Amino acid sequence: MRAELKELWRYRELLWTFVIRELRIRYKNSILGFFWSILNPLAIVLVMTVVFKFVMNQDIPNYSAYILAAYLPFMFFQLSLMDSSQSVLIQIDLLKKIYFPREILPIGSVIANFIHFVLAMVIFFVYLLAIWLINPGDPPFRITALYLPFLMVIQFCLTLGISLYVSALNTFYEDVKYIVNVGLYLLFFLCPVIYFSEQVLYAEKIPEEMRGTVYTLYHLNPISMLMTAYRKIILDPQPLPALRGPDSDVTVLPSLPLDLPLLAVAAAVSVASLIFGYWYFNLKKWQFVERP
Amino acid sequence: MNEVAIRVRNLVKEFDLIHSGYSSLKGMLLWWKHRRRETVRALKGVSLEVRKGECVGVIGKNGAGKSTLLGVLARVYKPNSGEVELNGRVAPLLELGAGFHPDLTGYENVFFNGVILGLTRKQVDERMDQIVAFSEIGDYMDAPVRTYSSGMVLRLGFSVAIHVDASILLVDEALAVGDIEFQRNCLQRISEFQRAGGAILFVSHDMRAVRQAASRVIWMREGEVEMDGPTEEVVSAYERSSEHQGPAGTPEERGLPIDERR
Repeated sequence: MRAELKELWRYRELLWTFVIRELRIRYKNSILGFFWSILNPLAIVLVMTVVFKFVMNQDIPNYSAYILAAYLPFMFFQLSLMDSSQSVLIQIDLLKKIYFPREILPIGSVIANFIHFVLAMVIFFVYLLAIWLINPGDPPFRITALYLPFLMVIQFCLTLGISLYVSALNTFYEDVKYIVNVGLYLLFFLCPVIYFSEQVLYAEKIPEEMRGTVYTLYHLNPISMLMTAYRKIILDPQPLPALRGPDSDVTVLPSLPLDLPLLAVAAAVSVASLIFGYWYFNLKKWQFVERP
Repeated sequence: MNEVAIRVRNLVKEFDLIHSGYSSLKGMLLWWKHRRRETVRALKGVSLEVRKGECVGVIGKNGAGKSTLLGVLARVYKPNSGEVELNGRVAPLLELGAGFHPDLTGYENVFFNGVILGLTRKQVDERMDQIVAFSEIGDYMDAPVRTYSSGMVLRLGFSVAIHVDASILLVDEALAVGDIEFQRNCLQRISEFQRAGGAILFVSHDMRAVRQAASRVIWMREGEVEMDGPTEEVVSAYERSSEHQGPAGTPEERGLPIDERR
């Protein structure tokens, strides 16, 4: 594997050129360019705010910030997987003509999406500041937001590992991208994006003695853990009104602190997935051009 | 100049259909039902040598292993056995669909192609003027490549390949799409390239182009080298053997140029 990494380093200029090309292609034919990638999360925030405030009668202050803090990272994961699953097949004619480290294709897709993610996060912080200026009160974000790069690096490892694996697999079985799409859709609801992870812990349908176990299992999924962590380091703990009917008293449930051991597990899983994905891709990459 | 640019010894390349015969899960499930081991031997022990300053034509029928040979030399395929020795940077000529993205401009595509062929971004920048001048694309460099004619794409691709300081140029399929003037420029450029010590290996079905450009010809048949020698000798032997099979042959067997192979 060390030789492969050395070869990749030798081709770093190509990787960078490829990333720039990816970014150019994406916004070549659209006037609004980068704005389109912001539009999607904005739409989600709008819909969820309307649904929660007016349909479900839940008035959680600054709810949009909690959605964005988890949805922007989720979008990075989702788009990276979708792009990289196609990345090798799209370039198969080029692969048949010339040598270059094949992993540049999925890695380039993930890096391009990561750049989007970083830009989206910058805009997110601008948004937090803007809200704070309009409505001064508590600080717009927590000081622990300084740990953000750590989380982003962990998520980058996880995303790249799975992307490498999926792109190699999809080159041989084109069904994989459909499975990935369905999987991502399910994952969206299995992660605390449009709800809070504490709601899993306080779910009334789950017997009281099992709730702790369910909460732990839920966070053994590294994506869930990361989404929870993003919220907790950027934003203040949110007092959660329990879901009750509009007439009964609303009990406020305490928010939980960030579970560091579980985050360490997520980080370990992420690094392991990167190593596995890279290994698997290198195992299969010479067969790509020999597919029918 | 007697130095060797390409040396290939007993090169064997097999395509294992058992690994590549399916491209979907359904295909794989069906394949389990009636599987049989099938390997296609595309190259059956090919040995050849190309010296620096030589322009070698490779001819033969479809499926003779010409493109596979070029693929192995471009390090696209891993050979099953045999030795490949390449002295110098190898540059394959990239076509539309391969190195070029239709939505990007000529400039952007030249950047990507130049870097993929081994230049740095800075080097591409320095050579941009020469590349544009040779390709004769002019003002169209700012337009997306999808608006180009196939001849223009070929010109641009050839122009990049010739400016990357490669010492081995691999050309799959003749430069038949370009107009006469461009073909003349190409031939002139190829001979300059040869004089500078570069080696060219080109696959073609256009016997006229082969006669014009090649200093030596290798005739491949069913994954083996059938004949290797002076241009006129090999080409006429190949043409005789094709005529032998009667007029039922495909155009390229009758020695006519064809542009599309796939």
